[in-house]
Amino acid sequence: MFSLDLFLNALAAGVLLGGFYAAVSLGIAVSFGLLDIANLAHPVFVMFGAYLVYTMNSRFGMDPILAGVLFTPLFFVLGALLYQLYYASFERKGAESLRGLVFFFGILFIVEVGLLLQFGVDYRLVEARYIGESLHLGPVGLPFRLLIPCVAGVSLTALLYLFLSRTFYGRAIQGVAQDAFALRLMGANPFKVKRLAFALASATASVAGALLIMIGPVEPAMNREYIGRAFAVTVLGGMGSIGGTLVAALMLGVAESLTATFYGPAWGVAVSFGVLLLALAVRPSGLFGR
Amino acid sequence: MASRLVIRDVDAGYGAVRVLHGVSLEVREGETVALLGTNGNGKSTLINCIMGIVRPDAGEITLERDGQRMELIGRAPEEIVHLGITLVPEGRRLFPKLTVEENLLLGAFRDGARRDIPRNLAFCFEAFPVLQSRRKQLAGNMSGGEQQMLAIGRALMAAPTILLVDEPSVGLAPVLVNRVIAKIKELKDRYRLTVLMAEQNFNQATKIADRGYIIVHGQIAFSGATAELREHELVKKYYLGV
Repeated sequence: MFSLDLFLNALAAGVLLGGFYAAVSLGIAVSFGLLDIANLAHPVFVMFGAYLVYTMNSRFGMDPILAGVLFTPLFFVLGALLYQLYYASFERKGAESLRGLVFFFGILFIVEVGLLLQFGVDYRLVEARYIGESLHLGPVGLPFRLLIPCVAGVSLTALLYLFLSRTFYGRAIQGVAQDAFALRLMGANPFKVKRLAFALASATASVAGALLIMIGPVEPAMNREYIGRAFAVTVLGGMGSIGGTLVAALMLGVAESLTATFYGPAWGVAVSFGVLLLALAVRPSGLFGR
Repeated sequence: MASRLVIRDVDAGYGAVRVLHGVSLEVREGETVALLGTNGNGKSTLINCIMGIVRPDAGEITLERDGQRMELIGRAPEEIVHLGITLVPEGRRLFPKLTVEENLLLGAFRDGARRDIPRNLAFCFEAFPVLQSRRKQLAGNMSGGEQQMLAIGRALMAAPTILLVDEPSVGLAPVLVNRVIAKIKELKDRYRLTVLMAEQNFNQATKIADRGYIIVHGQIAFSGATAELREHELVKKYYLGV
């Protein structure tokens, strides 16, 4: 039953999948981890991104990654508007925690139903020359449809990390949930800082969507399984630590891939929460929590 | 760059509670001014009025710089910071989960401070060597005295023309109060920093202030040079227990 080749291939696939999970989780790591906003709708934005990429790909034959990058400004603006609405309706009144959750649940359903009405329940996929090809390293095959999302996901993570740690606005984003008043005393407007952070978090969804539809066919309700994964990755990584998010995403990818290979794919999602529970029992602040 | 902070006839309060009644006060270039008073007399309210956190009902607060007069009332705190007034808030208000260095760099957020970061950082590390040795440590894991040093250092990173310090001694052990006060004096002596310090610890504050104002029930009861303050009846009555 057990073979080394099988194990190595599952391991490699897991690492590649993990790089992609990081891309999906970044939005949650920023909104939930740094801003304390439980944005349940982020995965459905990823789906929305995937469908926009699908449209560009099927109509104009555009490269999926290129399409994903092209749509980032749109998602940036949508994110800024959504935060503005959330702020005016909940955060300003100090009623954000529970009602905010319901708000994002509502957004989730609206976008999901919108996608269903527009694209139906059929699985959709994208085409590109390289998607069917693989890179072979000895017995291990690295399919391009996983390798490219991994590289793109890790690059996106690195970009966000550099922005958050090297720029003035990045540091302000890290500080805003800790003490918004103190941030005003530094000369920064907390509302604008949070809006920028939320907009950036949303902008990652269009790239993540491109990666998602490159890995495999999508249908609108698929966002649900990514809610659990992305929140698990965020908490496991240590609430807002971008490096931690990447490590946690890789761990989850490997754990899921090994389980799927040796015990069956049905266990996949259960693994996210299993890993999360186990990690939290040992280290409640997450792997890289401060 | 000659700058001066002038507060004239300020009334302020919170809802129906009136805290300040016609308060006037002035801080000139290079001076350290103490705002003295026991708890609940309006020291922090006045500081908050200057920073734009509390909006006065009457009076004016102006910053004069190079012959220009800028009205501060009606401006948001972040705008006032951009004009070069920074506050070391009561309770320090650090970002506990950011490192010492990240806290300091956030202090330099205002546009006017960004290009001078290397110089100001060197200045902070020189004034507070403990910050240099702890630069990678999380601010929340430091002792109270170190946190107060960091709070002052963070405000200095903004390269302020006027530094406001609200109750630097609150919550600190007496030995640390001495150290923090000595540091503020050092900043004033060596760098001619302009400081307005609200403090209830009379003896500590008068060690370093050039002048002082005593605020009682929201009114300036007395003002004068430090030596005069020590001899004043009110001080003997309220602070020295004579």
